[in-house]
Amino acid sequence: MDTAIYNFLPVWVVIFPIFMSIVIFVSSRRSEKMRDGLSVTTAVLTFISVVAMYPSVADGGVIAYTIFDILPGLGITVRLDILSFSLALISSFVWMLVSIYAIDYMSHEHAGDRFYPIFIFVLGSCLGIFVAGDFFTLFIFFELMSLISYVLVIHEETREALRAGYKYLIMTIIGGLALFFAIILTFELAGSVSLSEGTLITVPSTMAFLAFLNFLIGFGMKAGMFPLHVWLPDAHPVAPSPASALLSGIMLKTGAYGLLRVLFTVFNIPLVKEANWDILLGVLAVITIVLGSAVALTQDDLKRRLAYSSVGQMGYIIMGMALLNEKALVGDVFHIFSHALMKSTLFLAAGAIIWKTGLRNINDLHGIGKKMPVTMGAFTIAALAMIGIPPLNGFLSKWTLALGALDAGVPFYVFILLVSSLLNGLYYLPIIIAAFFGGENEHEGEESLALEYDDATYGMIIPLAVLGLSCFVFGLMPHNFLFELSLKAASFLFQSGMP
Amino acid sequence: MYLHLPVLMVVLLFGVSFVVSLLGKKRRNLAFQLTLLVLGIVFIISIYLLQHVGKEGPFSYHVGGWPPPWGVELYVDYLSAYVLMVLTSISFVVLIYGVEDLRHELKSDVLHWYCSLYLLLLGAMCGIALTNDLFNLYVFIEISTIAACGIISIKDDRKCIEASLKYLILSVMGSGCFLLAVAMLYMITGNLNFTYVAQELPHVLPLYPYNIVIALSLIIVSLGVKSALFPLHVWLPDAHSSAPSPSSAVLSGLVIKIYAVALVKLLFQVFPPQIFEVIPVLDIVLFLSVLAILAGSIIAMVQDDIKKMLAYSSIAQIGFVFMGIGLFEGRALAGGLLHIFNHAMMKAMLFLAAGLIIYASGIRKIRDLKGIGMRMPLTMLAFTVGAFSMVGIPGTNGFISKWHLALGALDLERPFFVAVILLSSLLNGIYYFPIVIDAFFGTQIMPQSEHKDVPALMLVPVMVLAVGIIFFGFYPAPVLSFIERAIGL
Repeated sequence: MDTAIYNFLPVWVVIFPIFMSIVIFVSSRRSEKMRDGLSVTTAVLTFISVVAMYPSVADGGVIAYTIFDILPGLGITVRLDILSFSLALISSFVWMLVSIYAIDYMSHEHAGDRFYPIFIFVLGSCLGIFVAGDFFTLFIFFELMSLISYVLVIHEETREALRAGYKYLIMTIIGGLALFFAIILTFELAGSVSLSEGTLITVPSTMAFLAFLNFLIGFGMKAGMFPLHVWLPDAHPVAPSPASALLSGIMLKTGAYGLLRVLFTVFNIPLVKEANWDILLGVLAVITIVLGSAVALTQDDLKRRLAYSSVGQMGYIIMGMALLNEKALVGDVFHIFSHALMKSTLFLAAGAIIWKTGLRNINDLHGIGKKMPVTMGAFTIAALAMIGIPPLNGFLSKWTLALGALDAGVPFYVFILLVSSLLNGLYYLPIIIAAFFGGENEHEGEESLALEYDDATYGMIIPLAVLGLSCFVFGLMPHNFLFELSLKAASFLFQSGMP
Repeated sequence: MYLHLPVLMVVLLFGVSFVVSLLGKKRRNLAFQLTLLVLGIVFIISIYLLQHVGKEGPFSYHVGGWPPPWGVELYVDYLSAYVLMVLTSISFVVLIYGVEDLRHELKSDVLHWYCSLYLLLLGAMCGIALTNDLFNLYVFIEISTIAACGIISIKDDRKCIEASLKYLILSVMGSGCFLLAVAMLYMITGNLNFTYVAQELPHVLPLYPYNIVIALSLIIVSLGVKSALFPLHVWLPDAHSSAPSPSSAVLSGLVIKIYAVALVKLLFQVFPPQIFEVIPVLDIVLFLSVLAILAGSIIAMVQDDIKKMLAYSSIAQIGFVFMGIGLFEGRALAGGLLHIFNHAMMKAMLFLAAGLIIYASGIRKIRDLKGIGMRMPLTMLAFTVGAFSMVGIPGTNGFISKWHLALGALDLERPFFVAVILLSSLLNGIYYFPIVIDAFFGTQIMPQSEHKDVPALMLVPVMVLAVGIIFFGFYPAPVLSFIERAIGL
């Protein structure tokens, strides 16, 4: 009986939000309160359900079964292991907080009746990516999530948003097709695309390289990897802030998750090393890091700066994969957690500022810290974590990544990490300093407008504070649950990637 | 009893077609009822045949009790049972839609003629799927051509007449080619029955190589014209876009495919494989199919009339069917044949959805469709499903056929065709998605008052087809197993 429930939970966390999105859509015709309440309830229940999956994977257990076959060797399958659990956990956690935040935030926006059902639907499809048992199922949910979240990107329906959305859509289609090609090639070479059958492709060949390249294009597109990141800085800032927080915080990670699966399940470590694909990954990662951080410096729009910073941070994650050793993987998985927490904090804080004051330009934010202390406090913690100040979580992930790089014998990557931290400092610290210590009078024109406001509503600052604190709690602490989780996930992943 | 079913189908369709035409304009309700009834019966027969053939294997029927080589033989194998199912199911659903739409689109005194032509067309197509005789095939092709012309020109405006004349001229030239090819084959083999011709051809190939090569070329040209294989497609966009919407759905969904099926039958059952060493027909077909896929998609991108865009998209999609035929083996062929059914569903649905939009608002221009999704949510939802399927998003049936085509191409170690498939999917995305996006998120141009409500009877068929697209995206196994048996996998 118990196992039946545990077996069903992975399906439940996907079906439940998707089903509830319909309920929310229907209820939104009745009353807005009911709609808001339902979406928060759904997100909370989903999070609880995800947490309830922990016992079945805690000791390296795996749940894997087939729901039904579409074609021989190709079907809808489920697979839950410690890595998928980790990502599902962080996603549903952030989603839950963002859904609370969204209620107040979206009360200023139009078309909430469209926003909430889509918001919850994307949660379901995002979790679907993590609990998918083969690349085909993963692909279905990946496409669902990417295409449906288009609606979140263009929510404001301005000309700018539609243009960014179009770019997003075209890139998504291209990425989807590349994935399709890669999956077909894998199926052709291995006769299966399952995640549960050990390494699928063991012999390097031109076809295998094509498959790798197309996986890289498909997932790298989502992860914002250079040179496929071009949609990201446009699409993330134009979305409403709760959506940008999820786009940057969570949905980028689906690309990283896919790449992890590709490296350690489709291929294995010796093969990747033999074929030198890790060098390709490494080069792309370094360019992504440097480019993301450097361009972020030049952005004046707060959300745009955050979006470019996401590009840089995803570079760390790709770099962690390229190192192909266990320590780096720990840092890698942990950075997925850290970045999810930090970036959603930052975007939510930026959203609170925009919501309260309408200011988007960084130069206008002088003195805002005195008016909105909690918001800017959370922003500060997250920004310091980004730079990698101990004892915050960003420090821990960078530290572990650096250890991994030294293990792999490439101190050059450590140097890149340091340079990027420096750049992070250069673009985050001025915001913080100006916010807390800057005088308001530096901008004469805005002065009168900027006078009367205080911090955002409790509905917004509580999720923000929780996220901000979590950057601290999951940092250098004696008991860091997320770090232990990443240790387990990394060793699990590493073992599956050894022949 | 089941033995007579195949011929009963064709006879029933032709017979009722005659009866309906006699009913006159006063009793046009009866005409529609009778037509729907017959379509329903034929659909049930085809389902019965499908499961019978699935269980007991193929069987043949000698018309009038005259055995071949003298009499006409109908042969129900896996392929024809599958094709019959496609034909009857889609045409049934489309005519349910047509009951309301045609009253709106056509003059009331031609409605019973429409029913008559529709049945005639379907009967001829069923005949093409069933027959095992070259000359009989030619006759059915002629009937279906004339009937197809009829259901285009019945709208009786300048554009339709022009389009159907163009279609008629090109099509009749195609028919001429086909007749010539039949004559040439008859000349050297002395037979018309597929089986007997196929037995003779390997022996006479060394004697009359040119005859056979020319016959094959003529057949490919004639069937290529009729199924709008690039560059013989020039008649299609006008014909399919100007016809009444149910006609467009049937023409794009079924009529162009049936000639591809005829080609498959001829290549498989009549011509010996040695012929491909004499002339690389398959490579020519492949080359043309690639051109069709790319050119059709690119031209579709610049269209501003929605039905014209759908018509050009059909040219690209028929390219997939021909790609399967050109690769001629294993999973690729299965993918091509599966695409016959899948595209029939998608394109019929898209044309009907476009018809609904035209019915409700009179809008045909793509750029005027902004905001239509808010007023016709279900229609545009169905359209979205169709667009997803065209792009090949997993979970829709379009994905399954592309999957098979791509795997088949890889099996044959020709990854170039996979690239073509992907490129075409991208192009499809580029011209289908903006329509969907503008429909839901664009600001509407037309005032609300001009908007008519859509009768449920028209909406239901569209939704049924949309559900079918998703259903067969997740559960293609029954259809696919049939196709795999048809090509002997």
